[in-house]
Parts: sequence; structure tokens; C-alpha cells
Amino acid sequence: MILGALISYPQAIVLGLLQGVSELFPVSSLGHSVILPKLFGWNIHQNDKYFLTFLVATHLATAIVLFCFFFRDWVRIIRGIGRSLRDRGIDPDDADAKLGWLLVVGTIPAGILGLLLEHSLRKVFASPTSAAIFLTLNGLLLYGAELLRRRAPVADAEDDARIGRTVTWRGAFFVGAAQAIALIPGFSRSGATIGGGLVVGLSHKDAARYAFLLATPIIAAAAILKLPELFGPDGDGVRGQALVGAICSAATAYLAVRFLMRFFETQTLRPFAIYCFAAGLACTIYFVAT
Amino acid sequence: MLRRMRNDRTLALLAVLAGVVLIVLAIVYWIEPARSLPSFFPGHEAGSGHHHVKHGIAAFFVGLALFVFAWFKTGPKRASTPVT
Repeated sequence: MILGALISYPQAIVLGLLQGVSELFPVSSLGHSVILPKLFGWNIHQNDKYFLTFLVATHLATAIVLFCFFFRDWVRIIRGIGRSLRDRGIDPDDADAKLGWLLVVGTIPAGILGLLLEHSLRKVFASPTSAAIFLTLNGLLLYGAELLRRRAPVADAEDDARIGRTVTWRGAFFVGAAQAIALIPGFSRSGATIGGGLVVGLSHKDAARYAFLLATPIIAAAAILKLPELFGPDGDGVRGQALVGAICSAATAYLAVRFLMRFFETQTLRPFAIYCFAAGLACTIYFVAT
Repeated sequence: MLRRMRNDRTLALLAVLAGVVLIVLAIVYWIEPARSLPSFFPGHEAGSGHHHVKHGIAAFFVGLALFVFAWFKTGPKRASTPVT
């Protein structure tokens, strides 16, 4: 039995709780899952197969929570896409259809870049030191997005109509492609999409909502594609821990998305920018010094 | 007006052709190992039995997106199209 060499249950709980929060907070879940084991002195490495298998379960849990949280929105969006396909065009007043196609346009570049680059980027930037450096840069990126933010348009009555009017097709492609930066441990997917949303003119609240909707299919697809590994030989010895981690991840992901949707009604990305910059810099110095 | 319609038709035709090519490409990626892929294909690797499933998925979805683009481009003009 190789159980002792893999992830322990307390580690699974910590990593699961962390994953749920850091996947949705703009602070890089992958970066934290590389840095934290090193800080705690755990013998867990980002490219270990069993750890990747563990991450599949926690990512899937996060995606399910996101999907359930926005379930009514997804039903409306999918119906909107169906209507537009039937009518062979998007009615300018159909906010659901417009939002649905904006999400499709945003998902395509992220999906393609993810499929083609994920493996090689993960291998190249696997070290905790590089993750800490990129976490520092993530802080600068978030701060830069705040500086480049366009003034959000006058509030519309309905969230999706506002997003549909503000985000252009080109903007949707740009925000979607920005997600690919999260393939590098240390950069945050939600940070890139919320930041991208701000740059194309969305308010903080709308940018966060758009980012979470955009994240759902990508996180789910990435997890589903690797799900066979969880049930194959790579999952031996970690399935129980993965289940525990997934439950913890689901709980914190739910709390995180609830918190962030309220937080961004009045607040900005600055606290996260400061955290990433400070934590990233401190970890970089610590890893280099030790 | 007539010129724009003709441009739309040409674009739609090109999108369909590219879509068909990409779907065929996806099938080739799924059924052929890396060693059997034509040498100009991304992912060709002499002696490798690995199937580039992800390359196939990427090609399939881009192909599908091109079909949708063509579907909208050739639809009635009263509504906007997804990519402008």
C-alpha cells in the first residue's frame, strides 16, 4: 500500500479548502497549490500524477458549485443560445442569447490555448519559486487592470443586458484569451477575466459575474477531460482524499462565490493585488534564501 | 448591399470548408497515433503511439464554431451576427 507516500487526509482537507477559495478569489489556485506544500514542507509536487488526479476532483467540485450557483442563469443562457440558433441571428433585445454567445466566443481561445499549452507550461513553471514570482506579477496585473479600467457605463436595469451591451465580440475574445495566462502557476484565471472585464468597460460586479460564468465551462471541461485518471491507476491511493478534498473545495467555493458577488458590488481588485504582490514577494525571497 | 451579401456568402462558404477540414482533422487526430500523422501536422512524432486526443478536441470545437458562424452569416439580416 503506497498510501503513506501520497496525500494525507489532513493535507487533503487543507488543500481542498484552499482550492475552493483560491480558484474563485483572484489569487491563483494553482500558484497556491504549488507554494503552500513547499511552505509547509509537504512532499507534494505539482507534477506528481496523484496530485494532478487530486486536483481533478477539487476542480470538478468547484465547477459543480459554480454551475449550481448560477443554475437559473445557465438555463436562461442556454435557452437564449437555442433561440438564436433557431432564428439564425441574435435579437438585439435578447440579453440571454448575447451573453451566451459572448461566453462561447470567450471560451474558444481559452479552451484551445489550454488544450495545447497546459502540459508544457505546467512542466516549465512547476517550481514554487517561479510560482511565487508569478504571484507577485499577478498582483501587478490586478493593479494594472484597476489603472486601465474604463469607467463603467450607467447602470442598466438588468445585469445580463448591461454585460451584453458593454462587451463587444472582440472584447469577449480578449477576456477569454486572458484566461490562458492562468495556465502559468501564480497567475489567476479569475483575476485575468475580472481584470479583462474591467478593461473592456464592465463594472466590478459585472466583471466578476461574467468571470464566474466564463470559468464554469472551462474548469468543468478541464476536470471532465482528466476524470478518467481519477478512476484509473493514477487515482489509486488518493480517491478517498480526493473525495474529502472535493467536499471541502465545494464548501469554500460556495462561500467564496457568495462573498465575492457581494464584495465586488462596492469593492475593487486592490486588496487582492496587494495580497498577491506582498505574499508573492515574501515567498520569492524565502524560497531563494532557503 | 449586393456586394455585402456576396461577401457574407463567400465568408460563410469559407467557414464551412474550413469547418469540414477541421472536423476531418479532429477525426484523424482521434484515430491515428502520432507516428501515423502526416509530417506537416502539429503533433507528428516518429515512432510515437500516443493519440493526440486534445488536439482533436480543439480542432473539433473550432470546426463546430465555424459551422455556427456560417449558419448565422447566411441567416436573415434582421438580427446581428455573433462575430463582426
